[in-house]
Amino acid sequence: MSWLRRFGRFWYDFLVGDRWELFVGPLAALALAGVLVRAGMTGAGVGLVLFISVAAVGTVSIAAALRS
Amino acid sequence: MSSLGLATLLASFLASAVEFVEAVTIVLAVGTTRQWRSTLLGTGAAVALLAGLIAIFGTAIAVLVPIELLRLVVGGFLIIYGLQWLTKAILRAGGAKAKHDEAAIFEREIVALKAEPPVPASGTDWISFTVAFKGVLLEGLEVVFIVVTFGASADLLGPAALGAVTAAAVVLSIAALVRRPLAAVPENAMKFAVGLMLVTFGTFWAGEGVGIDWPAEDASILVLLVGYVALSLAGTWLVRGRLRRMHLADATS
Repeated sequence: MSWLRRFGRFWYDFLVGDRWELFVGPLAALALAGVLVRAGMTGAGVGLVLFISVAAVGTVSIAAALRS
Repeated sequence: MSSLGLATLLASFLASAVEFVEAVTIVLAVGTTRQWRSTLLGTGAAVALLAGLIAIFGTAIAVLVPIELLRLVVGGFLIIYGLQWLTKAILRAGGAKAKHDEAAIFEREIVALKAEPPVPASGTDWISFTVAFKGVLLEGLEVVFIVVTFGASADLLGPAALGAVTAAAVVLSIAALVRRPLAAVPENAMKFAVGLMLVTFGTFWAGEGVGIDWPAEDASILVLLVGYVALSLAGTWLVRGRLRRMHLADATS
């Protein structure tokens, strides 16, 4: 059990670490892009939304790091 | 080799070189403080395990997982991982975060190793073996992650692996020549470049995975890259400005 916990902890630190917004943000951006594709938005439009969303996640994370 | 193959090779080379520089610092500290033979045995064991992981996971993922699902999952991970590298690199370039100092890490490792029990008079020194093995394995797992994800998504495991092997050869050759930590390597600039490439390719592949029909197909990668470069440079400039204003406010208060 402790091995399993350490294994889970390693992957949590590897992918999430202390910046949870960098894990949740891209997933939310991709979910939004998926919804827009299914709603019939053009490839260029969804691509632009995805680009802006990813950039926004990075900006929010940097702002949070500066505040802390 | 296609331009996508070259980009994959370059991204893999830069990412691997950064990680190998960090691994070499640990190996040098262990080897010079304790026993070279056991240190190199530990290093070799870790490298063999990492190569096996690349061969097994790289092949298995490419063969077993449908390409659309693969690009969505791997692209998502590349965005997440790339943003971690890129935001840290922006904060370091802007002066808000301390840069990686290999010389200081080397000194800290030596102090920690000197506190360990003495090297046995004969046979393998398991402390040297374990510390080198663990250090190389942990740094190398990031290389495996990047090589496998890049290689499998673009069906370019060969160039991705070649980039990693070349980086290992270059870094190890230089380390063997100078026999001290490679503190002069511009690690942050390399992490900045790798972060940009991971986020760019991640956005493109994950976008394809959710069903985006990118205009201009592969040429969209270049457009995304230019956009992320421009925003990252602007971000660095803004972080510097923000810090300058904070210092001025502190000085006047």
